[in-house]
Amino acid sequence: MKKFASSILIFWLAAVVLGRLLQLNPNQIDLSGILSSPSFSYLLGADDLGRSILARLLRGVEVSFMVSIIVTVITMLVGVCIGLLAGFYGGKIDRVLMQITDVFLAFPGILLAIAFAAVLGPGLINLMIALSITGWVSYARLTRGQALGLRNRQHVLAAESLGASVPRMIFRHILPLLTSILVVEATYSLASVMIAEASLSFLGLGIQAPNASWGAMLRDGVRYMLIAPHYVLIVGLSLMSLILAINLGGDYLRDKLDVRTET
Amino acid sequence: MFLIKKLSSFATVIFGVLLLTFLLIHLVPGDPVEVMLGESASSADRNQLRADLGLDQPLIQQFGAYLAKLSQGDLGKSIHTKTPIIEMMKTRYPATVKLALLSLIIGIALGVPMGVYAALKVNHWQDIVVTLVSVRLSAMPAFWLGPMLMLIFAVWLGWLPVSGMESGASIILPALTLGFGLSAILTRMTRTSLLEVLNDDYIRTARAKGLTEQAVILRHALRAALLPIITIVGLQMGSLLAGTVITETIFSWDGIGRLLVESIEKRDYPVTQACVLIVALSYVLVNLVTDVLYRFADPRVRVSA
Repeated sequence: MKKFASSILIFWLAAVVLGRLLQLNPNQIDLSGILSSPSFSYLLGADDLGRSILARLLRGVEVSFMVSIIVTVITMLVGVCIGLLAGFYGGKIDRVLMQITDVFLAFPGILLAIAFAAVLGPGLINLMIALSITGWVSYARLTRGQALGLRNRQHVLAAESLGASVPRMIFRHILPLLTSILVVEATYSLASVMIAEASLSFLGLGIQAPNASWGAMLRDGVRYMLIAPHYVLIVGLSLMSLILAINLGGDYLRDKLDVRTET
Repeated sequence: MFLIKKLSSFATVIFGVLLLTFLLIHLVPGDPVEVMLGESASSADRNQLRADLGLDQPLIQQFGAYLAKLSQGDLGKSIHTKTPIIEMMKTRYPATVKLALLSLIIGIALGVPMGVYAALKVNHWQDIVVTLVSVRLSAMPAFWLGPMLMLIFAVWLGWLPVSGMESGASIILPALTLGFGLSAILTRMTRTSLLEVLNDDYIRTARAKGLTEQAVILRHALRAALLPIITIVGLQMGSLLAGTVITETIFSWDGIGRLLVESIEKRDYPVTQACVLIVALSYVLVNLVTDVLYRFADPRVRVSA
C-alpha cells in the first residue's frame, strides 16, 4: 500500500516536472484537433478547443497541489492557534470559540465554501479564501480537544510552577505532543482540499478558463461525454489515482504514527 | 435536562447560522446591487432593489427585518423572476428530500450487509476485496462518481437516462452516486462495530448455549453493533444534503442544490442565501433528531450522562 501510494505520487510529480521541461503548452488551441481521441500527436487526446488533455492535466495537478498546500498551511496555522487558545485557557474564551466553530460546523460539507466562493466571485485567490475561511474549524476542534487534556498534564503543571511563560508552555510543552496527530490530519486535509477545489471548479466557482483545473475539465468532459468519452474517462481516472494515493498515504501515516482518530 | 441543554445549544447554533447567512450578501466585494443587476442598470432600478433588499438601512435593522420576515416564512424574492423564494422551495425541496432519502436507503441496503459480510470474513480475501472496492471506490467524490456512473450506465450500456427528471428511472443514477458514498462509510463502520461486539462475553454465551450462528449474528451481535450506525446515518444525512449540490448539477435534477448553483450563476443572491440557509437548517435539525433518537435507542448513553 505504501509503495503503491508513493509511486503514484512520484509518478504525478515526475510528470509535472517533465511537462514543464518539455514546455507543454496547456493553452495551445488547435481547431483541427477538437475532441480528438488519443493518438501520437495527442497522447491523451484533445479537449473541446483542441488543447492537449495531457498538458492541461499536468498544469491542473500543479495548480491543485499548490492550492491544497497553501490552504492546508493557512487553515492549520489559524486552526491550531485558535484550538490552543481555547484548550489552554478554557472557560469563557473556550466557550465563545467553540460556539463559533459549532456555527461553522452547522453547514454540511462544502456548502459554506460554495456560499463564500459564490459571493466573493470566482477565481483562484477567492477560491483559496473560501476554502481557508471554512477549513480551519477541524484543526481548531482537534487541537482544542488535545490541548484541553495536555493542559493539566504533570509536565505542563511543573513548567508552570517553575514560572514558565504561557508561550513557552504552549510551544515547548504542548505543541510538540500534537505534531503527529496534526501531520496525519494535514495529509487528509490535503486530499479534502484537493477534492473541494475540484468540486468548486466543477461548479464553475473555482479556477476560471482558460486556466486548467481538473474540476473544470471533468465538467467539460461530462458535457462532451456522448461524443468524446475518453475526455471524462482520462480526467476521472487521473483524479481517482491521486485521491486514492493521498488517502492511502494518510492511512499509512496514521497507523505508523499510531494516531487514534474518532470519526 | 439533556433536552434543555441540547435545545439551548441548538438555539445558539441556529442564531449563528442565521447571522452568517445574513452576512453573506455583505461579503460581496463592492456594491452587491451593482453585481446583481450589472453595470448597465439604471440608477432607479438600483435604488429600487436596494430599498427592496433593505440594503439602505443600518446593519442591525436589516438583520432584525431579515429575522422578522423569516419568522413569517418569507424568504424574500428572486431578483430575476420576482417569484417568492418560498414558492420555488415548495417544488425544489421535496425533490431533494426524495433524492436524499432514496440515497439513504441505497446506502444502508448496500453498506450494512457488506459491512457484516466483511466482518464475518475478517482478514480473508473477501474482507480485503470488500474493504478495497466498497470503501475506497465508493468514497470517491460525487463529481467523480457521478460522471463515471453516467458514462457506464447511460452512455455505454444505455440502461438509464443520462439526466433530467422526465422518467421515473432518472432518479436512479443520482441516487446511486450519493448512496455509494454513504455505503462506503456504513460498510466501514458496520465492520468495525460488529468486530468489536463479536469479542464480547455475551456473544460467547450465546454461542455456548448452542444458538445457530445466524441467530448469534442477527439477533445478538447486530442489534448492538448497529447502534452507533444511527449517529453515522444522521451525520451523513448532512453530507448527503451537501452532496446533492454537485449530484443534482451533474444529473440536472431540479432540487435545491441545483437551484443554489443556478442562483450563483445568475448572481441572484437572495436565492443563494435562502438555499444555503435551508440546507444548513435541515442539517442542524437532522442532527438534533439523531442525537435525541440515539438517547432513546441506547439506554447506556442516558445513564452515563
